[in-house]
Amino acid sequence: MDLLDAHLIPAVDGVAFGLLLFVVAAGLSLAFGTAGVLNLSHGTLYAIGAYTGAELSDGTWGGLALGLAAGTAAACVAGAGLSAATAPLARRGHLAQALLTFGLALIGGDLLIQFFGADELPVRVPEALDSSVTLLGHRYPAYRLCFIVMAVLLAAFGTWVLTRTRMGAAVRAAADDPQMLAATGHSPRAVHTGVLAAAGALAGAAGVLGAPIIGPGPGTSETVLMLSLVVVVLGGLRSLWATFFAAVAVGEVQTLGVSVAPDLAPYLLFAAMAAVLVLRSRFAEPATAHGPEGPAPDPVARLRSHLAARLRRRPRGAAGSGAAAEAPGAVEAREASEGDRIVIAPRTGRSLLPAWTGRLPGGAAWRQAAPLLVLLVVLIALPALLDAYSISLAGSALALGLLAVSVTILTGYAGLPTLGQTAPFAVGAYATANLADAGWTVGPVQIVLSALAAAVFSAVVGPAVIRARGTTVLMITLAIGELTGAVVNQLKSVTGGADGLVGFPATRALWGGEGMLEESELYNYALVVAVVAVAVTLLVLRSPAGKLLTGTRGAEARMRASGHPVGRYLLVAHVCAGALAGVGGSLMVTVQQYLSPADVGFEIAAFALLAVVIGGTTSVIGALLGAGLIVATRDWVAGSWPGHGPLLLGVLFVATVYVLPRGLAGLRSGGSGGGSGPSRDASRAEDQPPPAPLSAPAGKVSP
Amino acid sequence: MTPAPTPAASAPEPAPPVLDLTRLTRRYGTLTAVDDVGLRLSAGARHAVIGPNGAGKTTLLNLIAGTDRPDHGTITLDGTDITVTPTARRSRLGIARSFQQLSVIADLSVLDNIVLAGWPHHPKRRGAWRSPSRYRLHTESAGRHLETVGLADLAHRPASTLSHGQRRMLDLAAALAGNPRLLLLDEPAAGLTDGDIGRLLGILGGLPASVAVILVEHHVEVVAQLASSVTVLAAGKVLVTGPTQEVLAHPEVRDAYHGTGSTAGPGHARGTGIPTVRPSATEAASVTEARG
Repeated sequence: MDLLDAHLIPAVDGVAFGLLLFVVAAGLSLAFGTAGVLNLSHGTLYAIGAYTGAELSDGTWGGLALGLAAGTAAACVAGAGLSAATAPLARRGHLAQALLTFGLALIGGDLLIQFFGADELPVRVPEALDSSVTLLGHRYPAYRLCFIVMAVLLAAFGTWVLTRTRMGAAVRAAADDPQMLAATGHSPRAVHTGVLAAAGALAGAAGVLGAPIIGPGPGTSETVLMLSLVVVVLGGLRSLWATFFAAVAVGEVQTLGVSVAPDLAPYLLFAAMAAVLVLRSRFAEPATAHGPEGPAPDPVARLRSHLAARLRRRPRGAAGSGAAAEAPGAVEAREASEGDRIVIAPRTGRSLLPAWTGRLPGGAAWRQAAPLLVLLVVLIALPALLDAYSISLAGSALALGLLAVSVTILTGYAGLPTLGQTAPFAVGAYATANLADAGWTVGPVQIVLSALAAAVFSAVVGPAVIRARGTTVLMITLAIGELTGAVVNQLKSVTGGADGLVGFPATRALWGGEGMLEESELYNYALVVAVVAVAVTLLVLRSPAGKLLTGTRGAEARMRASGHPVGRYLLVAHVCAGALAGVGGSLMVTVQQYLSPADVGFEIAAFALLAVVIGGTTSVIGALLGAGLIVATRDWVAGSWPGHGPLLLGVLFVATVYVLPRGLAGLRSGGSGGGSGPSRDASRAEDQPPPAPLSAPAGKVSP
Repeated sequence: MTPAPTPAASAPEPAPPVLDLTRLTRRYGTLTAVDDVGLRLSAGARHAVIGPNGAGKTTLLNLIAGTDRPDHGTITLDGTDITVTPTARRSRLGIARSFQQLSVIADLSVLDNIVLAGWPHHPKRRGAWRSPSRYRLHTESAGRHLETVGLADLAHRPASTLSHGQRRMLDLAAALAGNPRLLLLDEPAAGLTDGDIGRLLGILGGLPASVAVILVEHHVEVVAQLASSVTVLAAGKVLVTGPTQEVLAHPEVRDAYHGTGSTAGPGHARGTGIPTVRPSATEAASVTEARG
């Protein structure tokens, strides 16, 4: 009874928190399920409402009502604007839209800080509610109880609109079959706008009402976005009730969980999310295989049949393992001596027909290699051209470039769009920092061990990633990245927690050398490592192994039916990409000589993905250039306009998505040469709608 | 139902079955897509599966190919139970298939498509992933398969530039590239022009005699020409199994298949499932002639 008594307040808080998340997440889920927009600026819509509400709050009911109206309207308008911004991208798939909304979130966050200042804004609730009531012998803020009531009303109203009105029917129809909806005389475009505006209004209303709970401040939008993404993922887009229970569960974890088990709470959330995603993508698998025949089976039957299949499959594992023979083994085991040959050689054999030579006359091979060579020359010449600070930035850009290349491998080649490569990046970074601390300061040793650690990490989490496809991968990898971030913050003995690590011995380039301290020295070391890593990557991607990945991305069913162990390929690709990210992390620590959790956070993951999109998703050199552009924007250009780094980056995001639909590689492919990717056409992967997410095909919002 | 041996006219002695399906059942929720189906094929059999839309034909192929798992029943290939074997391994055991929903790797060249399809079956597959010279060995046999289907001239075009008919042929070549013992064809003639169908008949007619074929097809003409035996599925159940001419003449089949096909055909013509609409008149004539 004592236990219950002690946790009553957090438990009730959890309900309030959960309801708040429910209202926000319902909007996010509506936008994703119906309009197909993975809205990474949803947290900003909440922040708009919260700031407006806080600004207009003056301790009276009128102030609250005015704030509610103004905040809801402002967020609603922002949502409609979002609809106008994303509608032209509808044909380009979820990734482009997600990046656009992330860019808009950066811009919006910066503007909000401009208007309202960088401090948390105080909120004055109506005086009648600014007291506490007694709840089973505990004092509890009256406003929160009132909020619970208001949130329930809001949720009930939303549900009523969605299920009982013609408008709601149109929305649900748009989620199911937009073409059919268009044929019945509704404009899908209008529904698209309406849905995003309504989602914005929900977020805005939640922001105004929730401001006393999650107050308006610089970190608000990210917190709200993350938590509501978790809710949507846990709830699974299938029904409002599932979203509701997920929201309350998350709310309880955030309040009750923190008060009961403060050490475990951060893990609990994302671990639950990862577990749910893995489970769901597993038992949803057969459903996508059978194609159009038959109605969608209900989840319980699917789970049951899945379990039955699992049980039957077990004995096969032993018998079937002999097939492992042709698995591509350690991809790193490539001699760099073949480098020149690969860069120059045309991609297909000349034995059968001379068509390639027809397409690539004369020095075409050189023309293909030229950008790489030019880049290399520029990179080598950099230390002579720049000041010390810029050189160290260039070193960081190389590290981020390797991260971006690893994202390219997964996103562009394996078809697994990832927001979680910061996790192996972090593993590599903290491994190097700890190795240095323990006295292992020889560079190559650090690199190899960090890569190994990151590869092992990727091998462990890989099975969770490679099961899913499309946007589900984004969410799973996001969960993995966040979970890793939570671990980094908790494991203070290894990672230094939020303070990060600093003061470890400098890396020595080779055995017997001195520790590197000069910026140019560090830069040259980073350059050599990066060149070797990129060369190995290019060798592998241009070898037939790259074609295996391209084939897997392009026609997975065909590859399986032709006898390719697709899952094994993807796992190997995931492990190799992880190792590469680990090398990048190691480099970053060496170059920066300090390490903080922000260096491996969500923003870095989004930057890496942006770098890849800037580059054209399948272009290694494009990813490197993209990373350079991002670091230059964030640290160099923004240096002359302090405090506006996020704004500039946001503009970069938005401009990239609109101006370079096929990335930098798209600029080149107007000619005959083709990009740096395996094939010119591969850069169009993002032009086509992505494969339907496994777990929630065009998710429905019907309860 | 009961396992039905397929005494093809061309195979006098009863060969051991290549494929043996017993009591195969697959349910999706309350819908039973494949209901207690049995089938036995000997080497070199040419067997067709016909039936109205939604009869469970593609599901049956998916169960055999391994992209779907049965709820009940067993699948045996050459005496080995493969009921729960993964798709890729079944392919290496000799089951190849074509797809109703076309599945080509648009980012790669036509030739590379076939090289990848033949790769796991090529005697020199080891190490091909890292050695361009070994990979080149694969292109020779892939080129032969392209010649078979008449795409050799397009070998180095990106597969994304192919027309629908050419993609069908590419898909077929990809299935043939594995040198299968059992070939599953899912509506290979869907959406093809008359000329293309003629070429398709030529290709399939020229298959090695040892390859067993299961053909799901709406064009009765194609079925009558290629198959020596036919199973008719309706609502997941085997309606009748037997030699082609007898089955096609069966009154229930004419009701269930032709009847449904010709009335529901136009309404259901969605992309790939374009059944008996176009050829109905000529086809019926040719079938009756062949029968009489």
